[in-house]
Amino acid sequence: MTDRSIALPIIAVAVLVIGSAVVFPSLAAAVPANQVPVTYQPDAGNELATPSGDAWSDVDAREIPLTSAPSGLPEASIVNTEAVEVKTAHTDSELYVWLQWEDQTRNTSEGSLDSFTDGAAVQVPANVTTSPTVELGSQDSPVNLWYWTAAEGPEEALAGGYNPGSITTMENATIETNALYQDGTWTVVMERSLVTDDQARADFDSDQDIDIAFAVWDGDNAERAGHHAYSEWYTIPLGPEETGPAAQYLLWAVAGVGIVIALLLVARTRGGN
Amino acid sequence: MSLEELDTDLAAGVDHQVAMVMDLNKCIGCQTCTVGCKTTWTEREGTEYMYWNNVETRPGEGYPKDWEEKGGGWESPERSSVKNGALPGKEEYGEAWEFNYEEALSDPQNETLEPKGVDPEWGPNWDEDQGSGKHPNSQYFYLPRICNHCTHPTCVEACPRQAIYKRAEDGIVLVDQERCRGYRYCVEGCPYKKVYYNAAKKSSEKCIFCYPRLEGEGPDGEVSGPICAEECPTQLRLVGFLDDQDGPIYKLVEQYEVAIPLHPEYETAPNVFYIPPFDAPPQIDENGETTDIDRIPSSYLEELFGERVHEARETLRREREKVNRGGSSEVMDILTSKNPAQQYRLEVFDA
Repeated sequence: MTDRSIALPIIAVAVLVIGSAVVFPSLAAAVPANQVPVTYQPDAGNELATPSGDAWSDVDAREIPLTSAPSGLPEASIVNTEAVEVKTAHTDSELYVWLQWEDQTRNTSEGSLDSFTDGAAVQVPANVTTSPTVELGSQDSPVNLWYWTAAEGPEEALAGGYNPGSITTMENATIETNALYQDGTWTVVMERSLVTDDQARADFDSDQDIDIAFAVWDGDNAERAGHHAYSEWYTIPLGPEETGPAAQYLLWAVAGVGIVIALLLVARTRGGN
Repeated sequence: MSLEELDTDLAAGVDHQVAMVMDLNKCIGCQTCTVGCKTTWTEREGTEYMYWNNVETRPGEGYPKDWEEKGGGWESPERSSVKNGALPGKEEYGEAWEFNYEEALSDPQNETLEPKGVDPEWGPNWDEDQGSGKHPNSQYFYLPRICNHCTHPTCVEACPRQAIYKRAEDGIVLVDQERCRGYRYCVEGCPYKKVYYNAAKKSSEKCIFCYPRLEGEGPDGEVSGPICAEECPTQLRLVGFLDDQDGPIYKLVEQYEVAIPLHPEYETAPNVFYIPPFDAPPQIDENGETTDIDRIPSSYLEELFGERVHEARETLRREREKVNRGGSSEVMDILTSKNPAQQYRLEVFDA
């Protein structure tokens, strides 16, 4: 077999890679970094509010890896939940966040001396134009916590960092939650109005991306307070469609590899002649 | 004398430190303190199992069972990190059983007094008076316990919400019930297991050193000592301020060093101090003759009170000898005083 006979198919592949990256930018758009799928379902509010609602079957899920939060609390590095499946949807007025994770034990009570409740939380910047640290924000850049526990249901809090005493429970929670435990799995839907009339709460524009992070507590593992599993920041892409920076890097990387391969092979083919 | 010259190590931000000395040689195990505390503070939903004040037989397993094995306290004398602690379960505290009083009292021939509908295997004071050793050398003593209102409390350090704090005016350790979320890190962090979770309220609670009584809300609207101290039939407790140099607490703790804390190795610096047992009759040999062997092994007392217990007991014996020889002893005067103004010196720092 000649060099040329090897080179030709490889050049063809390289051209295909470069070409597809250029011709199909949707390749990049389909694998965006840290995005959570979202759908607009203006008439499905009732179904979206239910963990098993049919409307959710049309929404893609994203599996989000979780790791232990660095709280410094006893046993904080040992958490039981490795990932949470997330879907989001919105109507004209409401945002719905659907969370599902595996938990072999259903812990719904803090009613005995050594029992703790299962729980989950969603974190968003208190002001959507800011970019707080994922570790509960900071005094200057606080976050909203939408907190659900199997024992108590929904709660909202304002947080400004991991320092003790930084979390303040907000009166009159504006989130609603619905939870379902089935076959070793919790499914929880959190619902909140896109817009509130409270300065301490995030207001969402239906054409603006939402930064969002997730946390899960396993009561069976005595997880409570800062002892829990948590995620990095993710984005709900409500804003105008654009290829995010991470996706652009991927696009250029694919094209770049193709170009280098092509140049090498062209040089080698010429050398062989 | 300025504060800097005091021997007393006060917590940062605390003006004065309230303290208590309990003379274990006077405790008869009657539980009047326990009942006084119970009826005053813990007859509410969720507090049934709690004894902010308890009296346990030593040697014994204590309340909650095996509390000394549950961790908590500081890792080292540097006090840089808290030792992880375990959370006792209800079975280790013991349930607040309902008893068949009506049946037992109306038909004593056929009914014995017992908990209704349960067959318990443990409860507070379950091993009362068992102690250790065999007749004629059996031995035990009673150990009353409340929160130690420590100078370096690990319950405070363990709380991620700063819901527990030491009051600036007197160093009493309190749980802010508004801030507490019932996480129970304080329960784990306290090596004495003197913080309790109220599962009905979902917050933790503890001995408050009867601060309303100290503030003048005692009987007849007067300043009075904690109910456990005032109700004690043998008046074994002295209450005052550790930094009141003219008071009995300072003298017993700092000057004569005869009052010592329980488990000093936990490094929390308790503000409840004990006069250790120092006068148990010696052991008897097989011929019925008294020996010079301590009935209560001094090694056991060292386990509870640390090495300083030996010198404290020596001093106590020496001071008592002085009195027996017709001399005077300030230590013995303090320990035998029946003057309430000395026993409860609570208004010395009032403006």
